[in-house]
Amino acid sequence: MIELTLQALFSGLLAGGYYATVAVGLALVFGAMRVINLAHGELVLLAAYIAYAAESRYGINPVMAIPIALVVVASASAIVYALLSRIEQDREINSLILTFGIGIIMTNGILTIWAADIHSTTNPWFQDSLVIADTLFAMNAEVAFFVGGLALMAGVYWWLNHSWQGRAVRALTSNRNAAMLMGVNPRQTEILSFMIAALLATFAGVAIYTGKTVFPSLGHVLTVKAFIITVLAGMGSIHGVLIGAIMIGVIESLTVTYLSASLQELAGMLLFLVVLFVSPSGLFGGRRALAR
Amino acid sequence: MTRTLAKLAATVATAALMVALGGPAAQAKDFLLGSELPLTGNLARVGQGMHEGIAVAIDMANKAQAGKHSFKVSTIDDETSPAKAVAAVEKLIGDGVVALTGGYGSNIIGPASEAAQKAGVVYITSGGVTPDLTGRGYKTFFRINNTDGYALAMIGLLQDMAAKKVSVVYLNKEATSNLAKQVKETLSAKGVAVTMHEFDGSTSDFKPLINKVKLQDRPDVVAMVGYENDYVGILRAAKVLKPDVKAMVGVWSLATSQMAKEFPDLMENVHGTSMLSFPVEFTQPEALEFAATYKKLFNKEPDYLGQFGYVQTRLLIDAILRADAAGTLAGGGLPDELRKTDAQTLIGRVTFDAKGDNPNFTHRMGQHQGGKVVLVWPKAFANGAMRFPATPW
Repeated sequence: MIELTLQALFSGLLAGGYYATVAVGLALVFGAMRVINLAHGELVLLAAYIAYAAESRYGINPVMAIPIALVVVASASAIVYALLSRIEQDREINSLILTFGIGIIMTNGILTIWAADIHSTTNPWFQDSLVIADTLFAMNAEVAFFVGGLALMAGVYWWLNHSWQGRAVRALTSNRNAAMLMGVNPRQTEILSFMIAALLATFAGVAIYTGKTVFPSLGHVLTVKAFIITVLAGMGSIHGVLIGAIMIGVIESLTVTYLSASLQELAGMLLFLVVLFVSPSGLFGGRRALAR
Repeated sequence: MTRTLAKLAATVATAALMVALGGPAAQAKDFLLGSELPLTGNLARVGQGMHEGIAVAIDMANKAQAGKHSFKVSTIDDETSPAKAVAAVEKLIGDGVVALTGGYGSNIIGPASEAAQKAGVVYITSGGVTPDLTGRGYKTFFRINNTDGYALAMIGLLQDMAAKKVSVVYLNKEATSNLAKQVKETLSAKGVAVTMHEFDGSTSDFKPLINKVKLQDRPDVVAMVGYENDYVGILRAAKVLKPDVKAMVGVWSLATSQMAKEFPDLMENVHGTSMLSFPVEFTQPEALEFAATYKKLFNKEPDYLGQFGYVQTRLLIDAILRADAAGTLAGGGLPDELRKTDAQTLIGRVTFDAKGDNPNFTHRMGQHQGGKVVLVWPKAFANGAMRFPATPW
């Protein structure tokens, strides 16, 4: 019983790490632009497929493929931003529709280029098991990217709180006009947010490629999960995303272990609803947006 | 008078000659078939495979019927969506297709074939195995495989393994659930201890579930019923946790060359249903032509999906030709003609019962061995020895 519980908690923690790396990019963009990028999951997926292409064609280690994937994902993010910035009216609803459409185009583009087969890394190190105290089991990929994801999120958190650009993003979210009066260039700040989100999406995509399987319709699933976690955390809260993601991961894992794996999604959604019922702005939402 | 009689005689002779030559029935015809398949969405991989098999059947039919008749297929992507499958079927029927071949996923084929039934158009498939599909009693619905055939194969292998305890890990979709339950019922009746673990399609981390199997069930064999990404997730988790089992056994989409190529470390010694070994070893003339045509059109070896797509379409084409020759095609005689089918095909003997099911269907079991897929069950079709006990780790 103890072994089962400990493994469930450990698996949930690692799963939460994956969810968090996918969700934090979405949270950042929403915090900066008040735009929900429904193509975010597809950007993550694009990074995964670039890692696949690099490994399958050129034998490049997926981690080494991150810079290549980043260039591609950043370019795609720039295009998304360019299209979003043209929206002048009803930005929130119109950006939802636009990014939803972009997501469909990207999904089908990926399908056209790489077909529908499922893929994952063939690098044995990522698939090898890591055993802790003969009780906790994980793949090397899961642990490595969990640690890397934490470091990346810590870096984003520090950047938002201690760098001028990060403060500019937060200022823009808080009061756009006042931020502009203080010398913040909104366009540059928004582009920067998108590029940071692209970096996070790239990391998440490579993490998923090494630890899970990728297929063209996965993007939509990732976007929905990221959106749920972002709302659960409180819109724009980065550390809330990490906590919310781990909560979801752990509750799902415990449900699989003690109830049924088919109730996993239901458990996650119930947690989401309960949190929103108790705290409608999310765990760390309301005025305390973007890292604080 | 003599001239008039001569003209009359010539006219009668000409008419008689036309009748003797067969008249209108001798005219070459173009037959348009419809195909609704998931070419995008979650089932894109299987839809594409079936689509290739259908294309091979069309190509071979056109070659066999050159100068007599020609066949074309109009394909619409149902995007793995039941609603879009219905729309696709309605569009194809509106375009005047003679019959429909395709469909994948029982939850999609159900509404799609219902739309075909309402229009009185034949719908033949190999992508929906759940008993409910033929339980509806539709005159126009036909399928060449079913849950029973997959279950028989899996159960047969498990019995040969003399497994005393089996854990069944299965996806909570209709077809997979039905198959899992059938396996449980049959094995339990034979005194095998069976534990069932249902999972959702969104499950990506199977470690908690496999850990439960490892620590609580302690089975001899883990039976997996799902699709490709499910198998990979389960096998990955099993490779990390290393449960003390003797074999990992799955069903469709597992014992394939594609899985051997993409996941060589995960597939070794894993069992799955397979009509074909890999590399493919065909000996029959039709099978050799099928493989050659597949290679010509798609530059690769055929897999089981292409094989099924080919067989269902070939049987449909044969029935269309028979119905056309009998003059019953236009009058809705195709379903009756299909029911007269009794053919030896690449998947064995195919006949259709009153419900449109093929009661002869029994699958075979293959095992991944060193990058190849070796048929190991039943012994009559085995081309290699089963490795047991054996797992990927």
